[in-house]
Amino acid sequence: MRSADAPSDAELLRAHVDGDREAFAELVRRHRDRLWAVALRTIGDREEAADAVQDALLSAHRNAARFRGDSAVTTWLHRIVVNACLDRIRRRQAHPTVPLPDGSRTDDRPAGVEPAAPASDHDTALVVREALAKLPPDQRAAIVLVDVQGYAVAEAAEILGVAEGTIKSRCARGRARMALTLGYLRESPPPGGNPEAPGSVSSEPASATPLPGAQDRRDRG
Amino acid sequence: MSGAEFGGVDIDLLADYIGGALAGTPDETAVATRIAEDPDWRTAYESLTGGIDLVSAELGRLGPEPMPDELAASLDAMFRNPPPAMTVIDGGDTTPRVPARRARRRLRWAAPIAVAAGLVAFVGFGVDYLAGRDSRSQDTATSAAAGSAESAASPQILSTGTNYTQATLGGAAAQTLTAPDLNAPAAPKDRSGASASVPLGRLDPGQGLQACLDAIQRANAGGMISVQSVDYAKFDGSPALIVRFTAANGAWAWASGPECGTPGSGPATLGKVPVR
Repeated sequence: MRSADAPSDAELLRAHVDGDREAFAELVRRHRDRLWAVALRTIGDREEAADAVQDALLSAHRNAARFRGDSAVTTWLHRIVVNACLDRIRRRQAHPTVPLPDGSRTDDRPAGVEPAAPASDHDTALVVREALAKLPPDQRAAIVLVDVQGYAVAEAAEILGVAEGTIKSRCARGRARMALTLGYLRESPPPGGNPEAPGSVSSEPASATPLPGAQDRRDRG
Repeated sequence: MSGAEFGGVDIDLLADYIGGALAGTPDETAVATRIAEDPDWRTAYESLTGGIDLVSAELGRLGPEPMPDELAASLDAMFRNPPPAMTVIDGGDTTPRVPARRARRRLRWAAPIAVAAGLVAFVGFGVDYLAGRDSRSQDTATSAAAGSAESAASPQILSTGTNYTQATLGGAAAQTLTAPDLNAPAAPKDRSGASASVPLGRLDPGQGLQACLDAIQRANAGGMISVQSVDYAKFDGSPALIVRFTAANGAWAWASGPECGTPGSGPATLGKVPVR
């Protein structure tokens, strides 16, 4: 029985397990925007993100009785959605497909992935999204949760099932990789020259060298 | 990460330091010392710190991303208005024959299955049936959500081997649809013949079949589908899963290839026709 106030997430989940047909739908309505944003930015493609969210929520729906309450319901939902996204990314990488002649995307690169930002920010937002999409999936997921969605490191660690130090490392390395990709690293000022302003795009070719993912240091736990 | 851009500086290690991942470790002191003493490290530190700040700022500006209305509506319909619970009936006896505690466990399991979609209930049923589990302890499931012996026709799992065409797809399956005898001894894959259809082996009831049905549901774009039958057969001479279902947009017969449900393949549709 629901109280006069809005039921908590945990109460909704319990009600669902006990047979309340409205409860899970309400739970989804509460969190769907954030779940969608996490999925879209982790997987980088709207169609894939929609599939991942649907699959994940169906899984949560079926397995709600197994939820032990060790974490917040929203953390649990995010974990299922992120894992669904990462599973899809890994399957895609394991079974690469040939691009379709009509231009439909089938690889791991986003294509027209997100709606346009306001015109003045459009170009910047686009290249930032592209740089984000080029990150290794683990770094991308951590950055999406912490830097884009604003989750605390501790909560992101719980969602991804890793140590907080690992989240910090994945975020830090991902940001560094993006900074390189975006040309945000400036070289040391040349003696007697005109130092570039912080954050300006360096003209030095070396600063835009892609980072070799295979040489990543093992994440710290 | 290569440190070539900054005179051999280990950018990953430096990024970890900047991001606080080295806090409390010996590496933290070591990196701090190198930044203080090595001009290359100091330069790299200053550059990377500025770059990371810019990246963080840009990421923070990406802004909210509301779920598309159509997806939200689809999810809402999926979870809010489920079809009637699908119940496996044993010879018309709707009385649960399992102990109360067992029945409750079953109900707790059955409720979300039933609510999720008829197809999900079907898969649960199909897995039990084809996997040859002891059905006598769980041969009757009732809907916890409905709280009664609400029943529906059992979905069928067939392996007719029929070679359908676009013209015949909408017709009845070539094999008489018979409800499975859930009390019969298990020889499930022999009975279904599903695993014998090697090209369709990955669509054996379980994850593969479920992924396929999910893909068909999405491609159909008619909301949840309620599956009447699945036939491991052929379409135009090629191995095909023939799925008959109803949804908000009507009744359909859908032929999917062996790749149905795999990433990038969607439902691997070979043919589909409305059934009138």
